Amino acid sequence: MVAPVQSRSSLQVMRDTVSALMIRELKTRFGSSRLGYFWAVAEPALQASIIAVLFTIIGRTSLSGVPVALFLIVGILPFRGFFKIAVQLSAAIKSNKALFCYRQVLPIDPFITRLLIETATYVIVYIVLFLIMGWVGFSVVPEKPLELAMVNLIMFAMASGYGLVLCSSALYYEDTTKIVSLITQPLFFLSGVFFAITMVPAQYWHYLTWNPLLHITEISRDAMFSSYETPVGDWGYIITITICLWGLGLSLYWVNRQRFIAT
Amino acid sequence: MIHFRNVSKYYLTNSGRSYVFKNIDYDLPVNNSIGILGPNGAGKSTLVRMIGGADMPSRGEIFSNHRISWPLGLQGGLQGSMTGRENVRFVGRINGIKNTNDIESMVEEFAEIGKYYDEPIRTYSSGMKSRVAFGLSLAFDFDILLIDEVTSVGDATFRSKSQKALQKVREKTHVIMVSHEMNQIKTFCESGIVIKDKKFEYYSNVDDAIRDYKDTYVKV
Repeated sequence: MVAPVQSRSSLQVMRDTVSALMIRELKTRFGSSRLGYFWAVAEPALQASIIAVLFTIIGRTSLSGVPVALFLIVGILPFRGFFKIAVQLSAAIKSNKALFCYRQVLPIDPFITRLLIETATYVIVYIVLFLIMGWVGFSVVPEKPLELAMVNLIMFAMASGYGLVLCSSALYYEDTTKIVSLITQPLFFLSGVFFAITMVPAQYWHYLTWNPLLHITEISRDAMFSSYETPVGDWGYIITITICLWGLGLSLYWVNRQRFIAT
Repeated sequence: MIHFRNVSKYYLTNSGRSYVFKNIDYDLPVNNSIGILGPNGAGKSTLVRMIGGADMPSRGEIFSNHRISWPLGLQGGLQGSMTGRENVRFVGRINGIKNTNDIESMVEEFAEIGKYYDEPIRTYSSGMKSRVAFGLSLAFDFDILLIDEVTSVGDATFRSKSQKALQKVREKTHVIMVSHEMNQIKTFCESGIVIKDKKFEYYSNVDDAIRDYKDTYVKV
């Protein structure tokens, strides 16, 4: 009694491989701590509430005419999403090395798997948090829902391009993932998570606008709130950065494709 | 047939490229089982790994219409953080088998490692690992089974069991095997390959291959 092995097209092989990897990843990710999905939602919510409480203590209940909590959550979600995705993806290839001895499993497969898992997690967290905030009485209907979806999509594309670059970098520098977490902290203060660019004097804007994450938070708020109009958010800039990161990431992947599977 | 088209394989060392194979152009017939002969470091494992798709040639390509197994070897293949059963399921799924219950129980039966089957692989001894790995590769009906020295580990019971299983499999499946035990090569293989001068030489009769191997490498 042996299992029959069918001939399949490359696309079917990839689909089977990604779904097998998906089951494995979900088990190690959310299986070890049963609260995995709870924390995915609770962490950004807690972060937002702590800063919201601080703002309330110093007497600000609204920023740019928007309730503090909602203003913060719209900035925190894409910022955290960006780094969560980049960190997860940067280790995707390395942590599945033993499986590349099967010809069906290519280095890009665990990358795609993690990207799908992160996308699903992010979308679920976004929607759940908005529903909760709507339920407690905030007005959570975006002014321009399509633009909000679009800017989140670009955030995804940019984070995954960045993650692909990091996968190659992790081949040469063991500490890549640690360094990424290290630069998260200062960028948190530079990306407009808890301020709008209009609160900064205009002569200093050009110090901050090189940071693509600032554009993402700015455009997110512009799309979300009718009372806020961003003076700096630039679609062209974030799209260009995304294309550059993907170009660099794919080239590095191709150059290193043998190194990924070498034991 | 396994087709080799201008295949080169090198590794980067401190003194530059170190070639294991250089410009191999060959159509390897697989109408029976093949033993691969060569001294340590000649590239036997590299050849098997490249045929099995676990490693890529640095240049050129290897392709075939046969359904070839992964290289069944001492290292790699099983993911340490997953249990034996999960590894079996994973390999079943990537080979396109939706319902993996049959192969799970088949490997469980063959491996005879009891409750360890549901423990992570990293807690296994090397003998237990090869029991699972070997049972797993017998669970599929590949045309060609790649074996890299794996039958030489394990206790006497497992060795005789795996030899018997191999004999049975050979009715339908051809084996490409690396082993340093000439007796084993003679038992299982009808033809042979000798690796020399960064190429290989194919002999349709395994005895000729063994003679060439001894003439070239064995100096007493």
